[in-house]
Amino acid sequence: MLHDAWRSLVRVTSFMGKELREVIRRPGVLLSLVIGPFLIMLLFGLGYTGARSPFDTEIVVPEGSDLPTDPGFYEDLAPGRIHVVSIGSDRPAAEQRLRDQKTDLLVIVPENATQELQAGRQTELLVAWNQVDPVYDQLANLAVSTMVSELNAEIIRQAAAEGISIAGGQLGTTNISPDVVAKPTKAVTSNVSPTKATVTNFFAPAVLALVLQHLAVTLTALSMVRERLGGQIDLFRVAPVNSMEVLVGKYIAYAILSLLVTLSVGALMVFGLGVPILSGYLAALGIVLLLTFASLGVGLLISLIADSERQAVQLSMLVLLASVFFSGFVLPVSDFIGPVQYFSYLLPVTHGIQTLQEAMLRGGVSTWWMLAALAGIGIALYLLSLLRLRSVLKSADS
Amino acid sequence: MSNPPVAENAIIDMAGVTRQFNGVTAVRDMSLTVPAGRILGLIGPSGSGKTTAIRMLTGTLRPSEGRIRVLGEEPLHFSRAVREQIAYMPQLFSLYPDLTARENVGFVAALYGISWFGRRRRVKRALEIVELWDARNRRAGRLSGGMQRRLELACAIVHEPSVLFVDEPTSGIDPMLRLSIWNELRQMRDEGRTLLVTTQVVAEAEYCDQVALIADGTLIALGSPESLRESVFGGDMLELETDHAVDPEIVAGVGEVLSVTQPAARKLMLVVTDAGTATPLLMDAFSRHSVNVVRLEEHQPTFDEVFASLVQRHRAQNGTDAGAKARDAA
Repeated sequence: MLHDAWRSLVRVTSFMGKELREVIRRPGVLLSLVIGPFLIMLLFGLGYTGARSPFDTEIVVPEGSDLPTDPGFYEDLAPGRIHVVSIGSDRPAAEQRLRDQKTDLLVIVPENATQELQAGRQTELLVAWNQVDPVYDQLANLAVSTMVSELNAEIIRQAAAEGISIAGGQLGTTNISPDVVAKPTKAVTSNVSPTKATVTNFFAPAVLALVLQHLAVTLTALSMVRERLGGQIDLFRVAPVNSMEVLVGKYIAYAILSLLVTLSVGALMVFGLGVPILSGYLAALGIVLLLTFASLGVGLLISLIADSERQAVQLSMLVLLASVFFSGFVLPVSDFIGPVQYFSYLLPVTHGIQTLQEAMLRGGVSTWWMLAALAGIGIALYLLSLLRLRSVLKSADS
Repeated sequence: MSNPPVAENAIIDMAGVTRQFNGVTAVRDMSLTVPAGRILGLIGPSGSGKTTAIRMLTGTLRPSEGRIRVLGEEPLHFSRAVREQIAYMPQLFSLYPDLTARENVGFVAALYGISWFGRRRRVKRALEIVELWDARNRRAGRLSGGMQRRLELACAIVHEPSVLFVDEPTSGIDPMLRLSIWNELRQMRDEGRTLLVTTQVVAEAEYCDQVALIADGTLIALGSPESLRESVFGGDMLELETDHAVDPEIVAGVGEVLSVTQPAARKLMLVVTDAGTATPLLMDAFSRHSVNVVRLEEHQPTFDEVFASLVQRHRAQNGTDAGAKARDAA
């Protein structure tokens, strides 16, 4: 019994050593594995500001309008969101420039807003934009609604000032400011998050999780395919080695490699970009280990079902693509309809991103079920790979 | 279909084994046994079913019909104990090109459960046997074709197996290296191991204790190299040369003579029941017809001739070479 266990250990370590040596002997692979993610992280941290340039806006103020023609007035209505490139009164020409994409936003202010308000009528502020990007479409909407609300406040302020002046002349003095009438409340805001909500802080754990999953999947996806196509699998079929020994050896080897890469990327993240790890290193490492375990399972399963190296690479890329879209990396998982959310939760990286962000930026994981899900996915994929490999090792007919 | 009983003392035993791929028969009703400490050469042209047979014997392919036993066990269900006694050297290079020669052999040794302590010595010995110790630190992918074959042989013998299945060890190897590899295989045989070796080099039958000739997926002859020669021609062959053109009818009356052919005017090829008995009778016959015999010697047909003759006979009996494509695919 002890003798068998010892021999099993020898076999497991032989696979481990072989896999590690094979990767180390390919300097190109090693370089792209370690330096690649490192550079991606560095470029992301240093290069991404999250700031979007304001919309180039043209304002059409009809002749005779009582609204100002000063660009600064309109830019102050939505600070940082619009940049007034010109103010004029030629509406058709302005509309043509918008269609020609020479401007991003066109605002046509009403001719006599104050009088209309005083007369109890609503006036129309026409705003148009020419965007195909849905994100910019939403941003334009936001900029417009901020601007309209500020413009409304300005009109109210003007009307109030006039009203107060008349009332003051008839009734004496009044201590209500037109600004208060126009904006009776103002928001005093604060973000109570334990870490500063910066783009780097928020996306760094997500990038780490995505890089880790992609590495683990890519490394392992090719491993078994090569052995199946290269004929080494026949040696395993004849030798006294079982599927569990093969799998465990590969899991350990690739886990070591993945963790080495994670450590290098993590060190850059923490010491280079200043991303906090409020939960402490151990908790973050625990999540990374679970994510690695589950991701290796994805890669190994791919390598056991793919018919060629090309197919293995294609499947790995599909997993990456699905991860980018459905994991919450770009778009929140909650934005998807129910059934698609279930698909999102099948991806290890979905749980990895959420739990790593919570652990690192909030100091603890509130979604414990996600850690259980990661472990569950890992175990399920391990068992599936084990069954498949057992069948492959049984005979070439499988 | 009932199979014959397992042959006693047989290390390798195949009985009525057939393998089909998508309805095309690659190996047909093959039966053979190999006793301990012998080399069986499975010889045949490319696509004749050799690799399919060896893969069934190692348990990597399932036979469609028939029974196989190696060391008393069915290959598809080998126990660990039996697996530890078996080695398989595949036809194609299937080692790890990025690992060194020593690491490759070490990896295979570890697959057989040989621990770090015992592995060093075994790896060294295996590499020394195949004369690759000096190249131990070279990556397998950078070795020449011959060295790679020898490296695979080292991998196959590192765990000191008692049964070796070696698929075309001399394929693509120059004649000097071929001889060296066969010497190594024979040495293993001399150490008591049992070997089944496939080859398409018919002349290599000489190195085997037993030869199984295979064509079109069918075993067409099985026996020692000598017995196969005799079985083809039905007796001893004599090659005879005279001082002038001769009529073959001169020997027609000699009782020992089974058949006569005349490749040249002064040359006769005779098949006789026994060369020793026939020689004086033939000399008498020529003397009576005033013909001087300038040369008379026993002819040893090459294995190429033996094989060609057996294949022709087989195909004449069966009339087709269908299935070759399927065996190629296999």
